[in-house]
Amino acid sequence: MRGHPGRSPPIILHHAFPQLRPAPAGPPGEPFWTARVNNRRVIGDLRQWFDPERAERVGEPPDYRFSLANERTFLAWIRTGLALIAGGLACAQFLPPLPIAHLREGIAVLLLLLGALVALRAVDHWARTERAMRLKQDLPGSRFPAVLAIVVALGALLLVVAVLIQASR
Amino acid sequence: MTPDPGASAERTRLAWRRTGLSAAAVGLLAARPAFTPDATPPRVLLAAAAMTGWVILVRLSYLRVRGLRRGPPQPGRRTVVAYAWVTVGLAIIGGLVVTL
Repeated sequence: MRGHPGRSPPIILHHAFPQLRPAPAGPPGEPFWTARVNNRRVIGDLRQWFDPERAERVGEPPDYRFSLANERTFLAWIRTGLALIAGGLACAQFLPPLPIAHLREGIAVLLLLLGALVALRAVDHWARTERAMRLKQDLPGSRFPAVLAIVVALGALLLVVAVLIQASR
Repeated sequence: MTPDPGASAERTRLAWRRTGLSAAAVGLLAARPAFTPDATPPRVLLAAAAMTGWVILVRLSYLRVRGLRRGPPQPGRRTVVAYAWVTVGLAIIGGLVVTL
C-alpha cells in the first residue's frame, strides 16, 4: 500500500540514488525574495561590483572548485582586456602614421576602450555567475563574446583598408 | 598539504601569475614614453601612475595566491573586484598616454 510508512523506499536508497531524493523545498518566502533579486539585475549587479560580500547573503556556497573555475574564467577575460590595452599602447607607439589623419590614435583609443569594457564585463559576469551558482540556477548566458569578435573583425578590416590605401600610393 | 582535486587551486594560482605578467607588459608599454629624450612631465607622471597600478595588481594577486593556500580555498571577492577596477584604471592611463 503506497504511502504507508513501512512501504516507502528505505531512506538509505537516497544515498545510493540521489535522483530518488525529493527536491528540496526552499523555506517559505525565499522564492519571492530570490525572484525580486533577479529582476533587479542591473542595479543589483552594479551594487555587487562595489560590495561583493553581498553575494554571501544569497543561497549557499557551491563546491569551491566551481568558484575557482569561475575565477579563472574572470582572469582569462582580464588577460584579454590587458592584451587589448597593451595592443592599443603598442599601436600608438610602434605603428608609423597611417594615411588617414589620426587613424592610428583612433585605433589605439578604440582598443583601450575595448580593454576597459572587457574588464568591466568580466567582473560583472563573474559576479552574476557566482550568484547563479549560489542559488543553484542556470549560469548567465552572454552575447558579449560575439560582440567582441565582430568589433575586432571590423577593426582588422579597417586596418586592411588602411594598408591597401598606403600600398596603392 | 591539503588535497586539491583537479589541481584547481594550483591552476588558479598560475592564472593569477599569468595575469600579473600580462599586467607587467601593459605597465612597461605605458611607461615607455617617459624614457624617450622628448619626455614631458605629464608622460613621466603617467608612467609613475602606470607603475603604481601594476604594483597594486601584483600585490592583489600575491594576496589572493596566499589566500588560495588555505584548504578548502575561499572564493575571491574583494580581490577580484579590485583587480578589474585597477585594470580599467590602466586603460584610462593608457588613453591619456596616447592622447596627451
